[in-house]
Amino acid sequence: MVIRTQRKEFMKRIRWSSSKIWLLIALAPLIALPFLIGEGFLSLAIEMLIMIIAACGLNLMMGYSGMVNFGPAGLYAVGAYTTALLLVKTGAPFGFALIAGPVAAAIVGAIVGWFCVRLTHIYFALLTLAFSQLIFTIAYEWYSFTGGDNGIVGIPVPDFLAPIDHYYYFTLAITIVCLGLIWIIIHSPFGKTMQAYRENPERTEFIGIDTKRYRLKIFVLHSFFLGVAGSMYCGFNHNVFANYAHWLKGTDFIIACLLGGMYNFFGPVVGAAVYIFLEKLVMSYTEYWLFVLGFIIILLSLFLSGGIVGFIAEKFSTIRVKYDTQG
Amino acid sequence: MSIEALIMQVLSGLSTGMMIFLIAVGLCLIFGTVRVLNMAHGSMYMLGAFLCFWLTSILSNIAGSFWWTVILAPLGVALFGLVLEVVLFRRLYPREMIYQLILTFGVILLVSDTCKLLWGVEFHLVPYPRPLNKAVTILGALFPTYNIFLIIIGALIFVGLWALMRYTRLGRIIRAVTYNREMVSALGVNVPLTYTFVFVLACWLAGLGGVLTAPVSAITLGIDATILIECFIIAVIGGLGSLTGAFIGAIIFGLVNSFGILIAPRLAICFNFILMAVVLIIRPWGLMGKPE
Repeated sequence: MVIRTQRKEFMKRIRWSSSKIWLLIALAPLIALPFLIGEGFLSLAIEMLIMIIAACGLNLMMGYSGMVNFGPAGLYAVGAYTTALLLVKTGAPFGFALIAGPVAAAIVGAIVGWFCVRLTHIYFALLTLAFSQLIFTIAYEWYSFTGGDNGIVGIPVPDFLAPIDHYYYFTLAITIVCLGLIWIIIHSPFGKTMQAYRENPERTEFIGIDTKRYRLKIFVLHSFFLGVAGSMYCGFNHNVFANYAHWLKGTDFIIACLLGGMYNFFGPVVGAAVYIFLEKLVMSYTEYWLFVLGFIIILLSLFLSGGIVGFIAEKFSTIRVKYDTQG
Repeated sequence: MSIEALIMQVLSGLSTGMMIFLIAVGLCLIFGTVRVLNMAHGSMYMLGAFLCFWLTSILSNIAGSFWWTVILAPLGVALFGLVLEVVLFRRLYPREMIYQLILTFGVILLVSDTCKLLWGVEFHLVPYPRPLNKAVTILGALFPTYNIFLIIIGALIFVGLWALMRYTRLGRIIRAVTYNREMVSALGVNVPLTYTFVFVLACWLAGLGGVLTAPVSAITLGIDATILIECFIIAVIGGLGSLTGAFIGAIIFGLVNSFGILIAPRLAICFNFILMAVVLIIRPWGLMGKPE
């Protein structure tokens, strides 16, 4: 028994260090990427990275705490609009605007969350969607402030970020920092409590945890990461439009999570990359991307409920079990 | 505000509310019985509206073409709902909520892009049908007859559904399935068939709502999302899964909307959001719902 535990510990340590090595190996091509591919693909890579931030932030809520936010686009748009409005209307420094975006998203997240955490399950999902549509309505109809359906165009970006490869490195750095933060959150006692809540809300409450407060904290955290993604996208695209807050945009994030597999840390990373790639690929052939997406969603939810990473992990684990029983 | 203007506002609010009731009640019926939130319900409404436009333009040389449409289009939508339920949704009932939501969302995308393919992205209009294309005088002010007709139809449908639930064997079965699915199944009731019936009935109602709304609003892509959000607001205010709740919620929604327009024309929906937030704080389960 003791030996077994020791072996387990040891294996764990090995797996941890090997995963570190894997991360470094994965990072190398990402750093070399601007030298390998053209500008068009580089902007695709930036979009993927931004999507990864948003999807991983959302997964903090969906995968790790089991709460379905069906309107993440609202908070994403709050980040984007805050950065855009600060840059265009007040001429604030870029760094400040970029930090203000996620902070504003977190504040709005705290307000929206305060209402939403009163509800659970489907009612929670409904209310998040309704709030996101409220933000969309405000962005779409309040012409004098948000520019309505014309959006905000020509957002100034500092010169050192203007070349696309510079912005790529900047996005890469932010993405790594965000993923690192999410990793730390998930593996902290706070993150463990989140997962306990997902597995059994009643019992978590019985052992004396104020679940409502915990859920609000998660809501604010995930709003922050969505805000980061929104701000980064605003800096990348130099334009902000009302449809950033539309629920179609929000379901992009959700589908990215599900496509990759939401019970795995790297699921949303894979999902986001695959999703953006598929979108661009299909859109280059036909304008009916939503039709294709509809089919993908239906197939996904009927046959691939663990997502891509979940599917691979399942296959991998059956192989390992076989190996273990033989050995 | 003069008393005439007040009555006008109330009437127009009621007619909006009654129209949305037809769609919201289907959403509530499905949720109450099957425990699935059908995101694609707004698409059924949109499909009904597009079918109405299409059929009225095909049948334009037949007298009373609109009234034929009122019969045919909801049936078409109900048929589509039947296929959808049997082929797709049935596999969905035991699944996790997120997959139910996302699959029904996939159906939204399919329907929306199909409509785009068939009818294009432009606005379509359906003229007021005869003999309801005139206006009646109420307290000295003119009010479209068609809107009065909408209010009456909405109220009739509510009474009909209520009577169906209360007094018929079928209604008793539906209520029993809502209450305890296993027990009803053990008593020999065909539960999946009940689910199919409820689903098809809800789709028929949504299609009817789409057809009847067609003359008073523009038919275009995107109305599915708008109506869905409005239905959600009504469902939350009234209580998800409650028939009376949907009715009362719809009336409140219509009235708040029609008076909100006077204050802030483009942001009228915000008042309903505020109302919803207030209801959620005071009674999270809605006005007519039961706490879980």
